[in-house]
Amino acid sequence: MAGEPAAKPGVIVMSWRLVDQVARLLEPDEREAVRGDLAELGVSSAWALWDISGLVARRQARPWTDWRPWIALVGLALPFGMILSIVSSSWAHRHSVYLWLYVNNWTWAYFESPGSRREFFTVTASFLTDSLTLICWAWTIGFALGSLSRRVIWMTRALFSLVLFGGALGSTPAAVLNPAHAEVFSLTFYRVVLPVILPTVLVWLPALWGMRRGIRPTALPLHQAMLWAAAVATLTLWAARSLEMSVIAGWWFPLAGSPAAIARWEWRGSWPLRLLPLAMMWPVGYLVVSAGWQRWQNRTLIG
Amino acid sequence: MLGEFEYLLLSASARLGAEAYGAAIRQDIERATGRRCSVGALYTTLDRLEEKGLIETWMGEATPQRGGRSKRMVRVTAKGTREAAAFYGAVVRASAGVSWQGSPRRSRA
Repeated sequence: MAGEPAAKPGVIVMSWRLVDQVARLLEPDEREAVRGDLAELGVSSAWALWDISGLVARRQARPWTDWRPWIALVGLALPFGMILSIVSSSWAHRHSVYLWLYVNNWTWAYFESPGSRREFFTVTASFLTDSLTLICWAWTIGFALGSLSRRVIWMTRALFSLVLFGGALGSTPAAVLNPAHAEVFSLTFYRVVLPVILPTVLVWLPALWGMRRGIRPTALPLHQAMLWAAAVATLTLWAARSLEMSVIAGWWFPLAGSPAAIARWEWRGSWPLRLLPLAMMWPVGYLVVSAGWQRWQNRTLIG
Repeated sequence: MLGEFEYLLLSASARLGAEAYGAAIRQDIERATGRRCSVGALYTTLDRLEEKGLIETWMGEATPQRGGRSKRMVRVTAKGTREAAAFYGAVVRASAGVSWQGSPRRSRA
């Protein structure tokens, strides 16, 4: 490259590669112009690295002067990452018990008795509804995250993922501590693997999908946003009690009689917990408001 | 009102005319001030001036001297010229009757 010595020792080659790697964080046009400037001025690789790093730092810091990425980080990624982590882990453990029951004791005789047939369909419907609820929550949260933190989405996405997978780490849901479930959770698949697969498939992937849609400059069409709102409201109402119970019994339950566990149990029915289902609907509320705002702006422009 | 660095950047761009682009502006500012001009300060200020409508920028030609990379060309707009003239006028008025040449350094008692 012009501006660099013809015979380059390995250290210089490596440091220019590092400059190129850091420059990848810039927009393509800016990267092109800045690398060209540095080549023309013939600066050393150390100065080039210092210069490019300074520009990258300024570019990355700039979006944080706006309030939106902060709302995305503090109002969405951290609290909803934690709630979804607890709830998905708790639901995974709860469904593990029924899954184990049916997989290990499967017989077509289940369909012969009306009672067991009804229970089978109830359990299946409950699993499907819970899955759909998690997918809808995750997608709408992902959409709001993407829309509010477009230029720093890599950071909010990383933090959301970290909280989602790390939030319930090391905790023991009540279902695992129940001695009646000892045989189920003695198996690694039900104790470890399934509680990772479910949040990945039902929360993480839909959230990434929502983020991809959210970072686009256009909001959802209003009718689609209304459909999402209706679906999320119905599913949230359906899952409200289960959501509250998951927060109480789904996280860090070392001893059923411990003061912490009792305090959390007494928290049941309190108003902050009652507001939790409402809180789960704020991302879809944002989705509707942004769609309505876009529609109003389009009408104003046409008018 | 412009900031000091914004004024320096506008002056350098106006002086360079059709040859105003990142590296040339940077060299011009360094020559005029005797201070190092960082790429970060230069490009973020270019963005700010463009947002304010004081300059226009576009991607120009690539040269072998630049490793085949394009330049970010800069042109001062009419609004930019007015703002720079207003800033210069304010500095001249503020400096009236003051001679900084040969001013004695304030000594510590």
